[in-house]
Amino acid sequence: MSRQNAFLGIDVGSISTKAVIIDENNAILAQEYIWTEGNPIGAVKKLLALLEKQFDPASWQIVGVGATGSARRLVGAMVGATVVKNEITAHAVGTTTFHPEVRTILEIGGQDSKIILVENGIAVDYAMNTLCAAGTGAFLSSQARRLGIEVEEMGQYALQSAHPTMIAARCTVFAESDLVHKIQMGHPREDIIAGVCRAVANNYINNVGKGKKICSPVVFQGGVSKNVGVVRAFEDLLGCPVIVDDNGHLMGAMGAAILARRSLNRTQFDFSVKNMEFVTRERNCGGCSNNCEVICVYRNGRLIDFWGNRCERGAARTDETTA
Amino acid sequence: MKQRRKVALPRYGEYNCVLKYIVEQGFEARCILPPPLSRRTEDLGARNSPDLVCTPFKTTLGSMIEALEAGADTIIMVLGACRLNYFGELQEQILRDMGFEFEFINLSLYNTGNVKDILRALKAINPRCSMVKAARAVYDAAKMVEHLDDTTSAYYQNCGFDSTGTYPKIYRKFIADMYAAQSLADIREGYRAACEGFGSVTLAKPADPIRIGIIGDYYTVMDPFSNLELEQKLADMGVEVHRLMNITNDMLRGGGKNKQAKIREYSEYSMGASSTADIWQAQNFAERGFDGVIQVKSAGCMPETDIMPVLANLSREYRMPILYLTYDSQTSDVGLMTRLEAFYDMVEMRKKVNR
Repeated sequence: MSRQNAFLGIDVGSISTKAVIIDENNAILAQEYIWTEGNPIGAVKKLLALLEKQFDPASWQIVGVGATGSARRLVGAMVGATVVKNEITAHAVGTTTFHPEVRTILEIGGQDSKIILVENGIAVDYAMNTLCAAGTGAFLSSQARRLGIEVEEMGQYALQSAHPTMIAARCTVFAESDLVHKIQMGHPREDIIAGVCRAVANNYINNVGKGKKICSPVVFQGGVSKNVGVVRAFEDLLGCPVIVDDNGHLMGAMGAAILARRSLNRTQFDFSVKNMEFVTRERNCGGCSNNCEVICVYRNGRLIDFWGNRCERGAARTDETTA
Repeated sequence: MKQRRKVALPRYGEYNCVLKYIVEQGFEARCILPPPLSRRTEDLGARNSPDLVCTPFKTTLGSMIEALEAGADTIIMVLGACRLNYFGELQEQILRDMGFEFEFINLSLYNTGNVKDILRALKAINPRCSMVKAARAVYDAAKMVEHLDDTTSAYYQNCGFDSTGTYPKIYRKFIADMYAAQSLADIREGYRAACEGFGSVTLAKPADPIRIGIIGDYYTVMDPFSNLELEQKLADMGVEVHRLMNITNDMLRGGGKNKQAKIREYSEYSMGASSTADIWQAQNFAERGFDGVIQVKSAGCMPETDIMPVLANLSREYRMPILYLTYDSQTSDVGLMTRLEAFYDMVEMRKKVNR
């Protein structure tokens, strides 16, 4: 019997790297979620090794690969992706597939946050934070560290609080100094944590969500959606239930896999990618005063892709090697 | 005999060719073209500017420094309708503090609304030249501005549908012609060649292409370096890119008369600078059934920030998405591409469904 088609979606964010393998009906065959730890190439290799263990190559064959997230270009080149898509589209596609009735998608990741408004299953408006990372996962992680707890435990602490401390939400730097002040004033820890969760939700609504009409049903995803304290804060603020999908953290990867399934491009994906050596080099073109930073990606010593140049002068030669 | 002045205007899109024409044909002086804007320009500007001032201040200051390095002895700074009016004064002081010696012609000191006063200001370039000749050059230059803006509009509306790569060549040749023009005939000939060139290319444009309108602050929206070549990036995705904001529409053709009255429903009073024009243009795009609008602004631009709630109302009522982009002196366009690609995907999917 011939093997059935499967599709791999990889979402490499600033903080975490996610991947799923789905079949033609969007059923998950394998899934994994690990930390990027500032090393997208290493994270993807590790991820592929973990996925391979869950995957049955005798009955399935991966024929499409989608890459998304901030490292999509790099990872797309690395795994030979058939689709490379921005994370906003990937999230919209992933979420509307599993929640066709959704009207508003709230998404808070490690470094960015976005809001997507949906009507009849298609995105009609979106916004993404531009200049500041206030109110994202990175802020929660650093505050958890300051308070001496794991970021994963924050939500449970927050739920114990009856009187969340008011924390300025305008800006991460102000929020942090406000928080330190409140700690030193003797506010109980769970109240502070609940205040931080509320600050994240407030900041989100006031910045990314500014001027957007948030309609129910609301789906909340991204790493921060795993924090029940923030979920509760959103429900209080919006006055409606907030849905958190069990696979919410995988929605970007799901979207990428679905887009790979819909695309006509086909490939024969091989897990051996995880054993290959990938090297990136940055070099300054120097052809003009722009001094473009050109990134070159090498597989086993041979150049496979490059980007960052504004004109042909900065182009790398395809026969270049790391040697 | 005193040497001819070497005059420069900080880089501003491709409008430097216009000043070059006025200076050389009208005032018989030399025009120094600052080097194209680059990271070095921004670094120089940012290093010597107040930290929280808007990016156009930094970029133009950097370009002035590069112009002085290139041998200019006279710098011209334009006037504007926001704090841009004070830029010249501050930039002159900064450059003097840095030790440069030069003549500074600050047009905002002559901001009386009368063109004659501007001409009087420019006379400092060469006091002995004939004002008749200068006035004629300014008239020719106005034609050049119109042709430049019309050609640029035609380019970005169509280049995304030209698979032969001819459009960029024609456009680049046209720009070079404008920099080289020495007479009205040269200007007309360059324009004619560009129109003919564009006309001869067969475009693969669908009957109902995706149309996106661009609005934003005077400098960032018109200067491709400052907006990270937003228009080209969109066009390359296969979009018909429209921008009403240019000098022709805003100063020569009035850009839609009584704009404030036309947008009264959304905003009764002007919020300064490009605010009224932007709201009117967004409404104009919406009424023409555009698929989306992108607002381009420099971080800290007050008028552009103030109109965002108005644009949000407009977006909701016309059911037309608006993407808000804020630019600072960043050099990486990765974040911009993410937002543009997502915006494109969204308007494309909407279009498919609504069709």
